[in-house]
Amino acid sequence: MIKPPALAVAGAAALVAGSMSPWATFAGFPGKMTLAGFPGGARLFALLLAAGALLFALEVGGRRRAALFAAAGAGAVVAVNIVAITDHGGGLGSVAWGAWMAVAGAGALIAAAWRLPADPERRSERGGGEPAPEEWRRLHPALEVAAIAVALSSVLGAVVWGLEIAESSRFISFLVFLVFASVALHYLGVFSALAVLFARHHRMAMLLGAAAAVAFPFTQQGNAYWIRVFASIGVFAVAAIGLNVVVGLAGLLDLGYVAFFGVGAYVGALFSNAALTTTNIHLPFMVVVILGGCIAAVFGLVIGTPTLRLRGDYLAIVTLGFGEIFRITANNWDGLTRGPNGISGVPDLALGGFDFGESHQLFGITLPGFANYYFVELVLIAGAILVFTRLNDSRIGRAWVAIREDELAAAASGIDTIRLKLLAFAIGAFLAGAAGTVNAHVTTQVSPDSYTFLESILLVAAVVLGGMGTVPGALLGSTALFVIPEKLRAFQDKRLLLFGAALILVMRFRPEGLVPSRRRRRELRSEAPEGVPGLAGASGPPPGGPLS
Amino acid sequence: MLGATYGLIALGYTMVYGIIQLINFAHGEIFMVGAFGGLTVYRYWLPDSMTTNVWVALPAVLLVAMIVSIAVAVLMERLAYRPLRNAPRLAPLITAIGVSIFLQEAVRLFYPDGKRQQAFPQLISSGTFDVAGVTVPWVSVFVVVVAVALMIGLQVFVKRTKTGKAMRATSQDPESAKLMGIDVDRVIVITFVIGAALAAVAGVMQGMRFAQIDFRIGFISGLKAFTAAVLGGIGNITGAVLGGFLLGIVEAMATQYVPHGSSWKDVWAFVVLIAVLVVRPGGLLGERVATRA
Repeated sequence: MIKPPALAVAGAAALVAGSMSPWATFAGFPGKMTLAGFPGGARLFALLLAAGALLFALEVGGRRRAALFAAAGAGAVVAVNIVAITDHGGGLGSVAWGAWMAVAGAGALIAAAWRLPADPERRSERGGGEPAPEEWRRLHPALEVAAIAVALSSVLGAVVWGLEIAESSRFISFLVFLVFASVALHYLGVFSALAVLFARHHRMAMLLGAAAAVAFPFTQQGNAYWIRVFASIGVFAVAAIGLNVVVGLAGLLDLGYVAFFGVGAYVGALFSNAALTTTNIHLPFMVVVILGGCIAAVFGLVIGTPTLRLRGDYLAIVTLGFGEIFRITANNWDGLTRGPNGISGVPDLALGGFDFGESHQLFGITLPGFANYYFVELVLIAGAILVFTRLNDSRIGRAWVAIREDELAAAASGIDTIRLKLLAFAIGAFLAGAAGTVNAHVTTQVSPDSYTFLESILLVAAVVLGGMGTVPGALLGSTALFVIPEKLRAFQDKRLLLFGAALILVMRFRPEGLVPSRRRRRELRSEAPEGVPGLAGASGPPPGGPLS
Repeated sequence: MLGATYGLIALGYTMVYGIIQLINFAHGEIFMVGAFGGLTVYRYWLPDSMTTNVWVALPAVLLVAMIVSIAVAVLMERLAYRPLRNAPRLAPLITAIGVSIFLQEAVRLFYPDGKRQQAFPQLISSGTFDVAGVTVPWVSVFVVVVAVALMIGLQVFVKRTKTGKAMRATSQDPESAKLMGIDVDRVIVITFVIGAALAAVAGVMQGMRFAQIDFRIGFISGLKAFTAAVLGGIGNITGAVLGGFLLGIVEAMATQYVPHGSSWKDVWAFVVLIAVLVVRPGGLLGERVATRA
């Protein structure tokens, strides 16, 4: 029998050697896969994961799952590329020996990791609770802030790195790498440590996060494409935060939320002197944003008043109906909305002589016009986050949670449930409306087919995938849902199929989303297999450590 | 007639909702898949000599449609919904939406030429007959007769048989039902099976009536059927049927008599839904909770 450490070293060596050798026998596959002695393309990801796996495997005790996931990730990266190379080159013959060697290495690493002693159960994993912050050793505050800065800049770095990858196969490798590396880091407790740090230096973390967000356009060297995508994401993220108030905090499933967004967009187009406007009214942008939000909020109240008295399921279907009514109305009311053609030629914003459509020079870097919108959206997002967190921490937020958990009990405790639900609905609609007005300027046109049921589902999915009731969740969810489809252009046709499958899988294995709120997580996890202590850890999906 | 189709689909919604309180968004897709199953038999499996024979073709199409729908529904229940039985309600609802999108796309991508509309065979002669000056196509008669027969059959099944009793017990209180020795999982699967079979029949009927189907038919029909179920009082079998017929009539009338009615066709269902919920939140027959199935 070879001892695990020896096996791990051997496996890692094979993986490294395999990754340094060619993976493809033909030129033309992205990432210089035919070059020897150079880990080009996706081979780098395999290497990084192999290094991680080796490190975790050799450290004594408590690292089994991290090593396992890192090794499995390396294997998955190799597998993805073998499939891609086979597909690209026409047959298994086009896969070079380096790839097979890497497979063998990954296999050995997995075997080595498998035979490591099991991780000690952490207290927090069993109870599903959180580690008390005081359990974590306090370092020098400057060090802790530095750790946050490092974490945030690596997030920014990962985003920029990922965006630069042009080929689908390599991007999938990158995604696989990210997922497995995150799971491995998660089992090392990195995320829970970070969560504690974030909680400790709340303001500093927010500032640094904002700085990272502001820094993004400067990383693109004047290339407008991704800034444009992020400008769309920004709008979407504001709406997602708004929806998060409705779904995440108050627990009201709104399946027609995009209608409020659409109301805002039409207001934005109608009141800003678009080329094909039907109203000829021109109001300053600030007024339009507020107006859009308010009109959407009024719609929210109108639709909410009769329906919020009912149980949640009816609400879902009525809001869905409202979304459809909005779309059909916009499609048919030619006099105001110009029907299916929509209103095009919405002008660029101009605030105090500053034209948002122009590109600008800053620190020697050209910022295309979309960057201006991106910055405006960051301000909006900041506003939305402020609204969201203040509400969440207030009496109103607690009342919402009470309603979400048990409406009857909440009503019995003296909460005016209908009024509070209406409030949540109106605030969510307001944020969506405000985001919609900005969107009219970003896309320069509004038309009914941008506000379909699918868009509503996309928003709900962003909130749910990211994590209900948390701001980072909504931001992460909307970014992922925009960037990943942009990147997987090769799969354009199957995008929705994958989206549906992803919804099912996430609900099955991680119903609390990527960044769960603490309350919600406890609620979701404690209801799992009741009365069978320890079962959750023994089989089925990993119970997962504390992440929030 | 439209109402019969809505009614049949609505039964599936209402039964599933009655038992596990889940709005099964994917039920419309079960209906769509059934229609495609029926089409497949007709187009690819039946020998040409038999396709014109109503007595062979129609049962074959219906049977395969049902089998396909049931298979998909059982798989869906087993893989997607059962693991979430104890999760908060939002989780299965979102899963249902995911299943719905997944099934639509699967048909669009993997059915031969699934992106386009598929011509659906008429099966029954397109003849008509006159009653008191009104021209009635035979297809409509067939659709209504089948729908009503199935609904009565279902009612008898739920009221008279042992399984039906188990279903009623489960819908009232799953925990106690389990204590009484009822295999709740089995009852839930049976519910999905019945709902799927009815939806498959509705799918074939829809195909025969409009002579074409595509992967999108499930979504809007499903939505309207759900409206019908709510209209009649969700969880109530008679109510679902009544709601279906009412909705079909309202839609037909509105399309006919309101100016530009047809471009607003899909709005009426929701207008009716909201109106009913405001005036009578329990639905038309909502009070009789005891008859939930």
